[in-house]
Amino acid sequence: MDKTPAVSLQVPARATFVPLVNTFVKNASLAFGLGEPEALALTLATEEIFVYLSQSAAPGCTVDISCASGGYYVRTVFECATQEFNLNAFNLTSTVSLDTESGLAEMGLVLASRSVDRFQVSRAPERGLRLTLIKEKSYPEAGAKHFAELREMLRPYTTRAPNAEEIKLLVQFANQVYPAHLLPAFLHYPGKVVDMIGAGEYQAAIVVGAKGQIGGAILWHWAGQKTVECFGPYVFDTIPEIANTLLESCLGAIAKTRAVCLINRLPTPDLPQEHFEALGTLTLFNRDGAPESTTYLRHLQEDEGSMMWAHPDLEEFLRHEYRRHILPRDIVVVKNEMEARPPFSVLSTEIDRMQNQVTLRPIWTGSDAGDNLRRHINLLQQEKLANVFFEMDLGESWQTDFTPALLECGFVPRLVLPYAGKGDLVIFQLGARPA
Amino acid sequence: MTPAPPLDKLVPEYVRRFEAYIPSKPDPELMKLYGCARVFRLNNNENALGPPPAAQEIIHRFPPPRAAVYPSGDAFYLRHKLAEQFGLHPDQVLVGNGANEVITFVIKTFCAEGDNIITADKTFAVYEWVATFSGFEARLVPLKDFGFDDEEMLARIDARTKILFVCNPNNPTGSYWSEERLRRFLDRVGGRQIVVVDEAYAEFVEKPDYPDGIRLLREYPNLVVFRTFSKMYGLAGLRIGYLVGDLDVVNMIRRTCVVYSVNGPAQEAALAAIGDDEHIARTRDMVRQGKAFLMRELARLSLPCVCGEGNYIMVKLPMNDNLAYRKLMTQGVMVRTMTGFRFPNYMRITIAKMEAMEALIEGLSKIID
Repeated sequence: MDKTPAVSLQVPARATFVPLVNTFVKNASLAFGLGEPEALALTLATEEIFVYLSQSAAPGCTVDISCASGGYYVRTVFECATQEFNLNAFNLTSTVSLDTESGLAEMGLVLASRSVDRFQVSRAPERGLRLTLIKEKSYPEAGAKHFAELREMLRPYTTRAPNAEEIKLLVQFANQVYPAHLLPAFLHYPGKVVDMIGAGEYQAAIVVGAKGQIGGAILWHWAGQKTVECFGPYVFDTIPEIANTLLESCLGAIAKTRAVCLINRLPTPDLPQEHFEALGTLTLFNRDGAPESTTYLRHLQEDEGSMMWAHPDLEEFLRHEYRRHILPRDIVVVKNEMEARPPFSVLSTEIDRMQNQVTLRPIWTGSDAGDNLRRHINLLQQEKLANVFFEMDLGESWQTDFTPALLECGFVPRLVLPYAGKGDLVIFQLGARPA
Repeated sequence: MTPAPPLDKLVPEYVRRFEAYIPSKPDPELMKLYGCARVFRLNNNENALGPPPAAQEIIHRFPPPRAAVYPSGDAFYLRHKLAEQFGLHPDQVLVGNGANEVITFVIKTFCAEGDNIITADKTFAVYEWVATFSGFEARLVPLKDFGFDDEEMLARIDARTKILFVCNPNNPTGSYWSEERLRRFLDRVGGRQIVVVDEAYAEFVEKPDYPDGIRLLREYPNLVVFRTFSKMYGLAGLRIGYLVGDLDVVNMIRRTCVVYSVNGPAQEAALAAIGDDEHIARTRDMVRQGKAFLMRELARLSLPCVCGEGNYIMVKLPMNDNLAYRKLMTQGVMVRTMTGFRFPNYMRITIAKMEAMEALIEGLSKIID
């Protein structure tokens, strides 16, 4: 069975087709499991984008619209041969003037960007625009479970993938055993984890005792083209080797794939550290102070080296980190030489209120990169989010444009995640002390 | 420009799902990246003594104009020589561009949609790869005590099982099945499936109970034996290996065989290498001496190891094997990490000359401190 079913519609960008597009997206969203409010939100976003294409960006052009289920979300993709799309509206900080005609048209895009959970934009000269909107299902949080009754673990045990009910149990157990700040946001929602694994985006392994008791679990997913991120191992029993067994199960599953690295950004005390190397730390500002959280890395293959783009202001940090971790890299230094840039840059914003943190990622560069970043920081500080991160992909040369503004604004490069993007990913943190 | 081809429609799903193996970069590139002036290659189980002298002479004297002429399409003289050595008919021998190619021949011959092959989870990966990217299921049986688990392999056989692959001795653990155990396995298979015994490292084994698969062919016509010139005979760079089997079985396999895939110098060097017992003795001496040294030194460093047959051993590290690889590379020692073999935190070391073994131990001493 297809784990990610999809439907598609090809339609000219004309206002008369708005009802058709709305009906298509709404019914597809409902069929793929979104609740009524989420389906309506995605439909609203779709309508605003289609209207904008019909009236401003690409009147009459053919638009390919597809809807696909990702298990815990529905993804709508627009593809259209236009270069006129104003991506500025997709910045969290975007405001529009309602006094002008173009401002009114872009108001719809602002509404669209706020109605969805995530979006991605790519634009190529020969293919035009590809805009992806993602709306997640809504799930209840993990409830209490009578853990003591279920935790008895008997040898012999086996390691295998969990079924749906076991996934829900392991989520509940993890929430009972580990403090919230050691768990990823999704791990607070049992049903969501079932759907994430069911869709194939995440994988999991559990240790199961002779009577079916769950002794521990590990989850993992592809965080980049060559990087897998694992969560756990979460251990619910006292058998000492469970954590190692779970980790080796994860390693066995990904050992013969294209994955070059395994990372763990939320290590628990149960992480078998002999399998990993500590990449660096991030400061987690919260009510209890500013504890440091270590990010761990494990290579899965021999590192054959790679070329990375870097702004001159970041070169020293990168050379230090690559030397410290013996990562063979050719650094190619690039900077803007006054060549033309599009007028507006775009940043995506992922807010995790449970962890009191936000992650900014560059979607598009533009001549306003520095100002755009400052606007985002101002807004996020008003929101009182204590932990502000910025992820820069060194495999994308244009992302280096953001480097001077990041440093000027008080961001500090904290660590480099090998191959976690198209290339290595540098994690900057706002207001942290240099490593 | 024409539109990009619809690869999602053109390429079978089992190929799209498969991840291509990326081989190591050439030594000069790695040396530049890791900043080392020389590299001891302890990663590919090559023979540090090189090819036997007669084969070296062939390579040295190969006349360049002959490069313009096609080689024998089916390695005619080499097949006859091998047949003579083993007491076989020449058509019982098929020569390929390394043992990797003959693995492909065998899987293509016997497997169709819905079929499966059975092998171990922690062994030479090419059986699994070829089956998987050809659209066939590879059933991987976990090793038991670092060796192939015969009972579990037999238990996994079903009506669609076509081939069982046994690596004997196993790469990377060095474990092997005795003749008695192999016979018992073949008896229980009962000729219903093809059993491939990969003897890539056979010439390194000196144990009296180690079976010569080729001698068993008369009794077990479903048996196919792989051998290679890459390991003991030091011709890895020329890519040449072969299979032998029952005449009818090999005649079937020949139908999927790509002729002219083995180059002329490889055929002639292999022909010259056969029967050089002195070369075998010298290599075995080097391996014995290297293993004894490593066992002693690894014990001193409190590093457990898995030392069986073949010109390699596995070492268990107190750290991530890939971090150890990078650290050793900076000291000019290249080993094989074992995470990809599903042995995380192990590395496999090729037994080579003493200078390389000493460099390895010196490097290991530094990185585990």
